[in-house]
Amino acid sequence: MDDSLTIAQPKERCASCFNEIVNDDVYCTNCGYPIKGTEHEQRVFLSQNEVNNIDYNVYNDKVKRAGNSLYYLAGFALLGAIISFFTKQDDPNVLAYTLPSLILAVLFLVLGSYSKKKPLACIVSGLVLYLIVQILLIIDNPVNIASGIIVKIIIIGYLINGIKSALELEKFKKEHNIKD
Amino acid sequence: MLSEEIAPSETKACVQCTALLNIDSKFCNSCGAKQSLSEVKVTDQWNLLKQAAIFYALYLFLCCLSQFTDAFQEISWYLVLELACVILTVSFFAINWSENKALLKWPGFSLQKLSAYCGIAMAGAFLVHYSVDWLNVTIYSQEKHLFNASRGNYYAIFLLVFFTAVTPALFEELGFRGYLLQSLLKVSDTHQAVYISAFLFAIIHLSFISLFWLIPFALFIGYVRVRENTLWYGIFFHFCFNLTACLFELLQQPK
Repeated sequence: MDDSLTIAQPKERCASCFNEIVNDDVYCTNCGYPIKGTEHEQRVFLSQNEVNNIDYNVYNDKVKRAGNSLYYLAGFALLGAIISFFTKQDDPNVLAYTLPSLILAVLFLVLGSYSKKKPLACIVSGLVLYLIVQILLIIDNPVNIASGIIVKIIIIGYLINGIKSALELEKFKKEHNIKD
Repeated sequence: MLSEEIAPSETKACVQCTALLNIDSKFCNSCGAKQSLSEVKVTDQWNLLKQAAIFYALYLFLCCLSQFTDAFQEISWYLVLELACVILTVSFFAINWSENKALLKWPGFSLQKLSAYCGIAMAGAFLVHYSVDWLNVTIYSQEKHLFNASRGNYYAIFLLVFFTAVTPALFEELGFRGYLLQSLLKVSDTHQAVYISAFLFAIIHLSFISLFWLIPFALFIGYVRVRENTLWYGIFFHFCFNLTACLFELLQQPK
């Protein structure tokens, strides 16, 4: 063996986030793990991290559910467009009846598919769009306020929960440097 | 502690113990303190969103009144509605006056830039006018006009220009790119904030078919407002766009 060869020492890594650490570090500069803390301090930190990960998964699920509601809304709008197309097929203004529902379907579909990347923007837009459509339907015929009211409340609930979770999720991602 | 090779420009002091840290450090390596203490809390963000929702709901209510209520088609009631919109917008803009007043300043005014924005607005209005005309004929089998009553009536022409070019440019910008966008920038990143304000602005016009031009229009003004850090370029852009649309409307009035 050649004596001049030196074996590269493996770099020390944080036990929590595996970020590279320097010998002098008392805390990890990426996650705050107490590198030179007592065993108890380190255990408390790691269990708190576990709790954070559970919260992260809960927020993710809620955002996913809100995103799915946007897909359902796209489906409803598409169904509406198909029904109005076939019922008004002979009307010269068939496009005027079909196109708004078709545009809505496309909008909800686009919002749903981008809701994983930009959850806050898509869920806020989806909720406001849905509420405006409901208001327009009620103005057109006030009886519409009662039709499918439970489904409407569930969809609005999912979307509002989705907005809250999107805020938490974005904060979490920012704090833990998680990229989309 | 930091190694000596790191340049001072790449370091920062810990918010708690003032130890020197690498600029990217999220926690202090000496005391473990988190370095981003000035971040807005989620509860504050949620409250900001709720406040923005109240503004939007009230604005939407006024828009629905003006569009769907016969009484508000009369000029006197229409003026009352316009006044309500102005009061609403100015009140919400003034809630955070100490911060928002900076948007009314015009730092680095450039006549060339202003002319360029106005030129883009006029070209955009030209394109939108002809594509909307084509869509109206294709979809509704008819042409639509803003105010048929303005033919030969100078008073009506003045009102048309005032209510479609001047007041929307001033107060929609103050409300949507001023108050709303400024609030959203505290809740989310720049791209999402601009996108949300643009989408909400577009759908409040209550015309799904017009979204094809309203969304890009609002996105453009939103990015101009963030880039230039003033509302004025957006106000002039919006004014030129609406004025060009008005002039087309007046030129095409049925004889």
